Amino acid sequence: MKFNSWYLSSFLISFFVLIPIITVFTSFFESTSNYYEILKNTFLIEYIFNSVALLISVLILTFILGTGTAYLVSFYKFPGSNFFKWALILSFAVPPYIYAYSLTAFFENYGTAFTILKSLFGDANYNKSIPKFDGMFGAIISISFSLFAYVYILARASFLYQSQNLIDLGKNLGFSKFKSFYKIILPAARPAIVAGLSLVAMETLAEFGAVDFFSINTLTTGIYNSWITFDDLAFANRISFFLLLFIFSLFVLENLSRRKAKYHFNARGGFKQKEKFKLTGNKSFLAFIFCFFVFFVSFLFPLSQMLYWTLKFPENLFDLQIIDLLLNTLYLVFLSSLVLILFSLISNYGNRVSNNKTLNILSTLSISGYAIPGVILAIAFITFIAWFDENIIKSLGFLSIKKLFIGSILGLVLVYFVRFYSLAFNGIKSGYEKINISVDESAYLLGFSKRKTFINIHIPFLRNSLLFIIILISLEIVRELPITLILRPFNFETFATTAYISASEDLLEAAAVPSLFLILIASFFIIITSKYILRESND
Amino acid sequence: MKRVSIFALITSLLVSTFAIANEVNVFNARHYKADAELYSKFTNKTGIKVNLINGKSGALEKRMIEEGADSSADLYITADAGRCGAFKAKGMTQGGLTSAAIKAAVPSNFRTSHWTGIAKRARIVYYSPERVSGADLSGLTYESLADSKWKGRLVIRKSSNIYNKSLVASLIANNGKKATAEWAKGVVANMARDSKGNDRAQIMAVAAGEADIAVANTYYLALMLSGKKGAEQQEAAKKVKAFFPNQNDRGTHMNISCAALVKGAPNKANAIKLVEFLLTPESQEHFTNNTFEFPMIDGVSPNPLVVNNLGLDFKQDLKTKVSTYGKHQAAALEVMTAAGWK
Repeated sequence: MKFNSWYLSSFLISFFVLIPIITVFTSFFESTSNYYEILKNTFLIEYIFNSVALLISVLILTFILGTGTAYLVSFYKFPGSNFFKWALILSFAVPPYIYAYSLTAFFENYGTAFTILKSLFGDANYNKSIPKFDGMFGAIISISFSLFAYVYILARASFLYQSQNLIDLGKNLGFSKFKSFYKIILPAARPAIVAGLSLVAMETLAEFGAVDFFSINTLTTGIYNSWITFDDLAFANRISFFLLLFIFSLFVLENLSRRKAKYHFNARGGFKQKEKFKLTGNKSFLAFIFCFFVFFVSFLFPLSQMLYWTLKFPENLFDLQIIDLLLNTLYLVFLSSLVLILFSLISNYGNRVSNNKTLNILSTLSISGYAIPGVILAIAFITFIAWFDENIIKSLGFLSIKKLFIGSILGLVLVYFVRFYSLAFNGIKSGYEKINISVDESAYLLGFSKRKTFINIHIPFLRNSLLFIIILISLEIVRELPITLILRPFNFETFATTAYISASEDLLEAAAVPSLFLILIASFFIIITSKYILRESND
Repeated sequence: MKRVSIFALITSLLVSTFAIANEVNVFNARHYKADAELYSKFTNKTGIKVNLINGKSGALEKRMIEEGADSSADLYITADAGRCGAFKAKGMTQGGLTSAAIKAAVPSNFRTSHWTGIAKRARIVYYSPERVSGADLSGLTYESLADSKWKGRLVIRKSSNIYNKSLVASLIANNGKKATAEWAKGVVANMARDSKGNDRAQIMAVAAGEADIAVANTYYLALMLSGKKGAEQQEAAKKVKAFFPNQNDRGTHMNISCAALVKGAPNKANAIKLVEFLLTPESQEHFTNNTFEFPMIDGVSPNPLVVNNLGLDFKQDLKTKVSTYGKHQAAALEVMTAAGWK
């Protein structure tokens, strides 16, 4: 049963996703142009330094914000703790680049902070006393407050499943709360926190919008700039190689840390619902303040800044084709979810029925597409299509296929597919792991064909996982910027591209309206599924 | 069958239609609302549909290059002559902007047969009248921005910015690379802070007292004064005055927004028509009143905000051909980077 159609389709899907990764790796060994060698080497050091600095700062900050809030809402009762439990996830609705616009709008010279101070205390030059959140510092804040929810969600899930015994243990040992947290709770949740942090790390390294807005040269913007300024794809690919190396070492680190910490994760059997400790007085107030601060800064602040601008410059609202933008955004969300879910189901099922080592390795490799920044994927895709078209299609005497792929919805969805395949694939995989293989065997005994087993048995089982994955994909696509920017067709804009383009023309006020809508749509997705996100991540 | 119908659905949704129509495809790196309004005026007048792909110039150029002969691009519209020149140097443009209407409208140093200016701007010095005296400014040139008397008083945006690349390219064209490399070091030594923010942020830094002089393009001050950026920035703009450098020699550095005819343009005739339309007095007036640029053609006056606050009576550098900006762009970036210009 080795080479059936399931095996083949599964193989082809994984292989397709791997193409850009292979492109990046092979071009590492191409020679780059000599012209700027020295200049480029100085740049490279700067890129690496900035990326590392950004990464470390963001990891520290998201760790504090994510585990801090997760700890409070998981173990304690205080005013608003039930509200914060889900409200803290809303920060996902604000992509780092929109956060960056808000930060600049508020703190720049003569910005919103200045207006507030002026209306409170009258005319004066407040600019010098208003702190400036720009450059590297601005990028760190923007990315951290927009991504800490990864850590929050996973840490919280892990805290919830910590057995009561573990906490009692701390009490029996006479540990203070802080010591219990530090010595027992935190180590037990380590794998989950590390998993959250590694997601943050990948997103940070791949981040384009915010670092570009603050003109920080990181490896990712460096790749984009060297592609454009130096016209040197080989060099761009070489930087990509460093970036990938970076990301893969993170992968390895994460895996190692997981393996070591495996015993911390117990099966659900011994789970006993914890009594939440009720905080009183000062402590309760402090817990509330901390959670409110994080919620305010991560979500309310950018939302209100964008809302304020929309109201202050209402002409921008009427200039925008909101319905068109909404339809375009939803169209992409719908198509990509459909394609991603469909093919991830097929490849997962193919893996399951053929149970083949090569295929397993191939599909594990193929999910690394998520680690590659969208800018690089888009570039690799254009390069590949151009090469394929010139060398194969045209030499066979066919008409050019470039228009079919570059600047078309098809191309856009294909690259989204590569980028977000791991989300869909892994999500379905974890759903599948819960369906015992004996279910399949019983189905075969009952005379079900493979396809019938797949459609009539697996899909209904997986329905909840699928819903969750669709929401994740939708959120990603609503916020996605670089791929859409580079590959979209004529007269086609989304909220993300409209916001970015206005911002890049120094029209931040005009960027406010699409940003506001983007936040609202993403919040809507989050709110309708918040219960689900919180529950699903427990698995 | 269910599966077949899903595949059919996906395929039908993915395949876009390629209708041949009376249209012109514009790769557009200028994202002013005013431009979009002009394009719809053009469509109303001629029946030619304007298809737009908006983006940053670098990415747009790359896409046209990779699409090669199969690109549907007709016209590439962007700010800065350096970009149009560099794009031409890559062999990505074609001649054809030679109609009598274009030649009559645009002075020859602002066009080639491959691309032409459609609006002008100058890169000038802004200063705080409270902290900078007339004597300080007298005879100020771009070259003298490296004078040590400006130490810790100057702000200018990053070296990767195209306006700076073009300004420095024009200095290289006039003074040579070596002298410009020295100049760049002097400028970096004079900076009040590491380069950051856009042109408007430089002007606001002077208004806020962070620096005494700033280098930025002309239209930003008018934009702030117009109140389109809110009352605070309008107030801030009033604390800053404009100064046109190099009045005693070659004149102030001029730059353009340009339209380039893309090689292999499938709708070349329509593209030329659009360029001609952008150079009519009607369109030029629309530019000057919305983006606050200087008009490309004679007979149209800049916006009153520009005339009253920046003045019109200045000597433009008509000696340095704007086509040299593209040529020296790489060298410009090199000298700035070598000087430690962030």
